Amino acid sequence: MRGAEQTRALYPDADGVVEREGVRVYWERYGSGSPAYLLLPTWEALHSRTWKCQIPYLARYRTVITFDPRGNGRSDRPRDPALYARREYAGDAVAVLDAAGVDRALVVAWCDLGESLILAAEHPDRVAGLFEIAPAVQLADMQPEPVAYPFDEPLDTDEGWAKENRHYWLRDWRGYTEFFFGECFSEPHSTKPLEDAVGWALETDPETMLLRFRGWNDKVIDRTEATALGDRLSCPGVVIHGTEDRLVEPGRGRAVAETLGWGYVSLEGSGHGPHARDPVRTNLLLRAAGRDATAGPRPAADRRWTRAVTRPKRALYISSPIGLGHAWRDVAIADELRALHPDLQIDWLAQDPVTRVLESRGERIHPASADLASESTHIASESSGHDLHVFQAIRRMDEILVANFMVFHDLVEQEAYDVWIADEGWEIDYFLHENPELKTAAYCWLTDFVGWLPMPDGGEHEAYLTADLNAEMIEHIARFPRIRDRAIFIGSPEDIVSDTFGPGLPAIREWTEEHYDFSGYVIGSLPGPTDREALRAELGYGPDERVCIATVGGSGVGAVLLRRVVDGFDVARRAIPGLRMIAVAGPRIDAAAFPQRDGLEVRPYVHELRRHLAVCDLAVVQGGLATTMELTAARRPFLYFPLGHHFEQRFHVRHRLDRYGAGRCMDFDTASPDAIGAAIAEEIGREVAYRDVETDGAARAAALIAEVL
Amino acid sequence: MTATAEQTRARYPDESGRLDRDGVRIHWERYGDGDPAILFLPTWSIAPSRIWKAQIPYFARRGRVLVFDPRGNGCSDRPLDPSAYAETAFADDARAVLDATGTGRAVVVGLSLGAQRGLILAARNPERVAGLALLGPALALAPFPPERARAFELFHDERADDEPWAKHNANYWRRDFPGFLEFFFSKAFTEPHSTKQIEDCVGWGLECGVDCLLASEDGPGLGDQAADTAARARCPILVVHGDEDAIAPHAAGAELARLTGGSLVTIAGGGHCPQARDPVLVNLLIRDFVDSLDGENAA
Repeated sequence: MRGAEQTRALYPDADGVVEREGVRVYWERYGSGSPAYLLLPTWEALHSRTWKCQIPYLARYRTVITFDPRGNGRSDRPRDPALYARREYAGDAVAVLDAAGVDRALVVAWCDLGESLILAAEHPDRVAGLFEIAPAVQLADMQPEPVAYPFDEPLDTDEGWAKENRHYWLRDWRGYTEFFFGECFSEPHSTKPLEDAVGWALETDPETMLLRFRGWNDKVIDRTEATALGDRLSCPGVVIHGTEDRLVEPGRGRAVAETLGWGYVSLEGSGHGPHARDPVRTNLLLRAAGRDATAGPRPAADRRWTRAVTRPKRALYISSPIGLGHAWRDVAIADELRALHPDLQIDWLAQDPVTRVLESRGERIHPASADLASESTHIASESSGHDLHVFQAIRRMDEILVANFMVFHDLVEQEAYDVWIADEGWEIDYFLHENPELKTAAYCWLTDFVGWLPMPDGGEHEAYLTADLNAEMIEHIARFPRIRDRAIFIGSPEDIVSDTFGPGLPAIREWTEEHYDFSGYVIGSLPGPTDREALRAELGYGPDERVCIATVGGSGVGAVLLRRVVDGFDVARRAIPGLRMIAVAGPRIDAAAFPQRDGLEVRPYVHELRRHLAVCDLAVVQGGLATTMELTAARRPFLYFPLGHHFEQRFHVRHRLDRYGAGRCMDFDTASPDAIGAAIAEEIGREVAYRDVETDGAARAAALIAEVL
Repeated sequence: MTATAEQTRARYPDESGRLDRDGVRIHWERYGDGDPAILFLPTWSIAPSRIWKAQIPYFARRGRVLVFDPRGNGCSDRPLDPSAYAETAFADDARAVLDATGTGRAVVVGLSLGAQRGLILAARNPERVAGLALLGPALALAPFPPERARAFELFHDERADDEPWAKHNANYWRRDFPGFLEFFFSKAFTEPHSTKQIEDCVGWGLECGVDCLLASEDGPGLGDQAADTAARARCPILVVHGDEDAIAPHAAGAELARLTGGSLVTIAGGGHCPQARDPVLVNLLIRDFVDSLDGENAA
């Protein structure tokens, strides 16, 4: 199970295990700074990954400590029910603080049953404050929570809360967790938090959970005990609670705040888990509470504010690091933007590999870029063979997206820009619509595809997930048309697929035409001569030489394709005597592992590969948009192999290339080396009749952005 | 004269009064109520408490706001004896206003010369001052530009030179007081498009009158006691200073923040009177400063 954990935005600086009465509890420590944040485990159905959206942000400012509860994660699952007493969790917390070398912490609890109150009341020197998310502990006379069904008796129904039953748990634990976390994340479009929670709950088992519940009447911290604990508290506290919480009614949280004289933040419309479902707002509330918990006077840093009219015009450009295509087109757009506004200062919030392009051009890379969690590493880790399920890969990047949005947020909180430009900066677009009050500059959004599409073998569930994400986006735009000052589609309306966003949702093309401006395709400029013969001569290709370039991008994803293309070389060379094939392995594929043949050159790196592709006689590539469109613009014949399960390459790019009449699409699963060799021989040097690619796309995109400056 | 000409206020006092301090009557106003209380000190007698017109309505929604007119302007008396304009006298006026309004403790905000009386107030009455926010503080903590230093030095002399700051001169004031006011406030507001702010201030300067302002100019200030007094004011301090302040050098504000461990906010492109020229920023800075003081201080 653990091997499947999605890429984290931040990994612990230290971890370890504490042992108390033979029970081992696993903890992690991130970052530095005092007082720390101690993010307590919630009930044993979940573990410390619950806090994945908080850890990367809070760790930028303070030490963050998490631990897995006894019963889940990497902690033990003791078989003695007494070892699941509530007091044990407070004991574990103190032991973890000791082991992690933390004196004092702001203690953050979700759905607290009183464990944090024990901790704060009995160890006041260790607790700088309490931050309670939807606390379940009872501190006032309240109606007892209605119990629909007895827990221990066999029932004649499995409907709804009847699933909260010993016999059902043992029969269908997954079914229970899906129901329970559906109630927990009651907000629409909560598929990912729900999926996460169910996955974590499956890391424990119903037998362990039943041990935890055994003798519950003795374990529960009732109102009398909670009140006695509350009377002993001296630290400050905050309660946040969603008004739509279906698991713990908000009145409980309010009673905690009122009884203890704490602050109370009501999250209108939120369910039981705002830290997962409204992570940006929760993070900002946590940071504010952390500031309040700082003992003594705060170090005062000098600040500077520039009068508005004297400020130079500034743009912050966020360029997606998934593939290099964005980098080339974004610098082309930036150049055109500077032509329209010569005084415009452009800062880039970007990461590898985009920063390589930016550095080569001497662009200003904002120092905050160093705080970004790597997206390209995650994407590479999600691929295997010739396959990348890009929709799931982006869903599984949710933690990284929140972390990177928080970097953006803290940057623009400190620095004023006239416009934010995001080229497929999904985190910017998504979280601005989720937190519209954080928009403080003009905002332009760019993309080359609209609509998440399911792969056929994903079945109904994947179709449901893509439609849900599309529906959320459509609702975002409908509700907050002010967020995107410009939405620019890099292409033409005809480039848009004929699908709908999902059952009952609009047609993608119709909707996009209504909500976007169209720039036409944006080709990055190439250095050096534009004359084909001159460029071939410069690059060492004879006028009559037949040159085939096979390239699979910079990640390790393409090794299997490259290998198969090389294996087809002999067939191709027999048909095309003198054929020269250059196979570009990239930094992550071992060039020495390939066979040696006359006419075959396997190179780890080709400087300015785009120029080579522009003059080759045939290219063999994956199905990415940027490379295939550059080949189309250069009127080169090419074979392309869309990655398996990559909906963008398989549907959106394919559709666009078909419109241009460009390239020959091949299926990696069915193409043998011989078939590839034969296709190379057929296609090489062929005169093509592609539709012309626009040359003014960058200028048109820039003109649209310039309107808001 | 003031009442008829004054423009409509955004908010009028909930209470006002006069207190008598050794024969000099001081007019004070209270707006709003509750914690935190903020006392906005008068600046040089060239202007009345109306300099805080962009702050009063905002902070009165949040708590108690106190202002008073300086000796020499507004509805306060206009003594002609320079000793009546000692900085210590202004600081004691402030304390008397706190007493008269039953205000135990307040955050104190001062502009320009207000920094001197604010520091004295805090040093003498630490229990009354929760924090000091000082805008464009006029303190001898950094050298003045030469032409300004020369104007102070030759203040009572006849000057024949045509150096612009030669207008900062007793004889020039007597010849052309409005001309001096126009000049002085064009230097106080170095930001473009400050016509309304300059117009306000010139009008207020005329209310003071030349004789009164001459007396105030000779009143004993903090002088070289600034650093010592700052050291004795132990409350949290916020300094806000424009880096194009042509009246009080930005370096003095920066030095005050350094000496006191206070925080410095520099307004790039800002002049001497940010409360009038960048009121939104100043309001938010003061709000954040007040909020940063703990509950015990804010009472």
